[in-house]
Amino acid sequence: MIIALLTLPLSLLGMQQQGSPIAARLAGRVPPDVVALVEELGTAAATRGLPVDPLIQKAIEGSAKGVPSDRVAAALRLVVAQLGTAAAALQDAGVVSDTLVIAAGGFAVTAGLSGHDITALARTGASVPALTVGLRVAGTLAAMGVPSAENIGLISTKLRSGQPTDDLLLVPAHVQAEIARGVTPAQAAAGLERAAAAQARRGPPPSRGTPPPHPPTPPHP
Amino acid sequence: MSEHEFHPSVKQLLDGDITIADLPPELRAEGDEALRLLAAVDRSPVQLPAVSRRVMRAVAARPARSVWRGVVKPRELRLRIRPWLLAPALAIAAALIVFLRTAPTAAPASLVTVRFMLVAPDAREVTLAGTFNQWDAHATPLIRSGPTGVWTATLTLPAGQHQYAFVVDGVRWVPDPGAPAVNDGFGRRNSVLTL
Amino acid sequence: MRPGPEADGEIVRAVLAGDRERYAQLVERYRDRYARYAARMLGSADAAEDAVQDAFVRAFDQLSQCKEPEKFVGWFFLILRNRCFAERRRSRTEASLEAAETVAAADRTDGGAETAERRRALQLALMALTPDQREVFVLKHVEGLSYGEIAERLSTSVPSLKMRMHRAYDRLREELREHK
Repeated sequence: MIIALLTLPLSLLGMQQQGSPIAARLAGRVPPDVVALVEELGTAAATRGLPVDPLIQKAIEGSAKGVPSDRVAAALRLVVAQLGTAAAALQDAGVVSDTLVIAAGGFAVTAGLSGHDITALARTGASVPALTVGLRVAGTLAAMGVPSAENIGLISTKLRSGQPTDDLLLVPAHVQAEIARGVTPAQAAAGLERAAAAQARRGPPPSRGTPPPHPPTPPHP
Repeated sequence: MSEHEFHPSVKQLLDGDITIADLPPELRAEGDEALRLLAAVDRSPVQLPAVSRRVMRAVAARPARSVWRGVVKPRELRLRIRPWLLAPALAIAAALIVFLRTAPTAAPASLVTVRFMLVAPDAREVTLAGTFNQWDAHATPLIRSGPTGVWTATLTLPAGQHQYAFVVDGVRWVPDPGAPAVNDGFGRRNSVLTL
Repeated sequence: MRPGPEADGEIVRAVLAGDRERYAQLVERYRDRYARYAARMLGSADAAEDAVQDAFVRAFDQLSQCKEPEKFVGWFFLILRNRCFAERRRSRTEASLEAAETVAAADRTDGGAETAERRRALQLALMALTPDQREVFVLKHVEGLSYGEIAERLSTSVPSLKMRMHRAYDRLREELREHK
């Protein structure tokens, strides 16, 4: 198995690329019947404006885990359904979606959020990049056991306040710290929302001064 | 002692702790058998000249590495340690993720260095498989530090949404007991990493 | 620069900084060092070639994880070792064919057909051991390391290594007798 994975890409280098980009990414990693299904579902998804990458990822994952093809097929169809739910929810809020924000919404649905939850977050008016991060964080909180109401309440407040996304990414750690102190996930999120709302009323925090020097930019690929 | 087992003194002979002359007469025959076994060991050197060319071909085909120039450690660190709760029922316990973040940057292609840890004293091998390495259960070994059974790996990952699991002894897929988890769609759970 | 840990560290840093061509120097330097270990662990030089190649590519991909660049060779050994352990257990027939090819390819000048046959039989018997048992046997009796050196490299204790080795001796004896 390892040997096949290593030699196949090398041989592909010298050849003209045959078949679709999907097939190229799956070749050698995934059985042919799954490749065919991913191509079918992926082409249909792309015409609907849905991201194809989550399908490819899920197929590779299933193969790596030794899952039989029929179960992989079921999981793939589920991914498509979740992406569809997310895309529809974003559309309801009037958001002009890109594949990243839909994928983030799809993840949120996987984690247990509903289309309504996604629409609620989208209606905060946050920019698409911020909303993408917000959906990822909301999904993470759901995976931590925060119920939808407190979850959406907290993330909406954060999104409306216009804080940098780095702060949003720290929310799960803060929630976890509160849980470690002995409160429930719901209480943790609600407490953080109250703090965030109070912060928003007070206005932006004082300037942090000059940022410290950071390492040089990495070379771009 | 079963008839297949060497006498303990013969094992000492095999280990090189004693010589055949040290064996009592009744064990000499067994000692000879043991030495014949060792004589059959193939110690001839192995050469693999084709490896150089093939490795460099693969290396040349890799996309440009996106890490800091110079030595790997970012100069500015903000440490966020999560006090994860332990699940007492699990024999594998206490995975701690330490985020080493660079100074705040608005660059969309930002990278975060993440250290994964798993305490698994009885494991022979622990690897990490996830969306960042095509779920390859052999691609990212964790390194065991000493007898305490702490396995670690440090990866530099792009900002975004990642899912992963540990693979213990090549066969057992174990979500990170300390991280949030979602269904993987196959009846198991994946750990979630949001950077 | 003379070969040695300092030179290795300098090469690793250069590669991390973007000069990937210099990785070839590390490959040249250590390509054959563990080739014999891999061949005895996996049962054939062909399998060893794949494993060593694979390990070097992985080491390149994960080079930023090499905490101490001067100790590249030890870190690389662990990657190769994991790769050897991860190899799927082959059927006895497959292992037998490979072992036969390996020894046939080796020089017959020392001892001739009988020696070749005994070598083949032992390699085959080695493949019946668990990877842990095979490894301690290979490191001590092929690579010539002491128990103390092996213990340090594998971060384990000498008593536990001896226990593993003594089980290996018994298993080898059993295999060699059964398949005479």
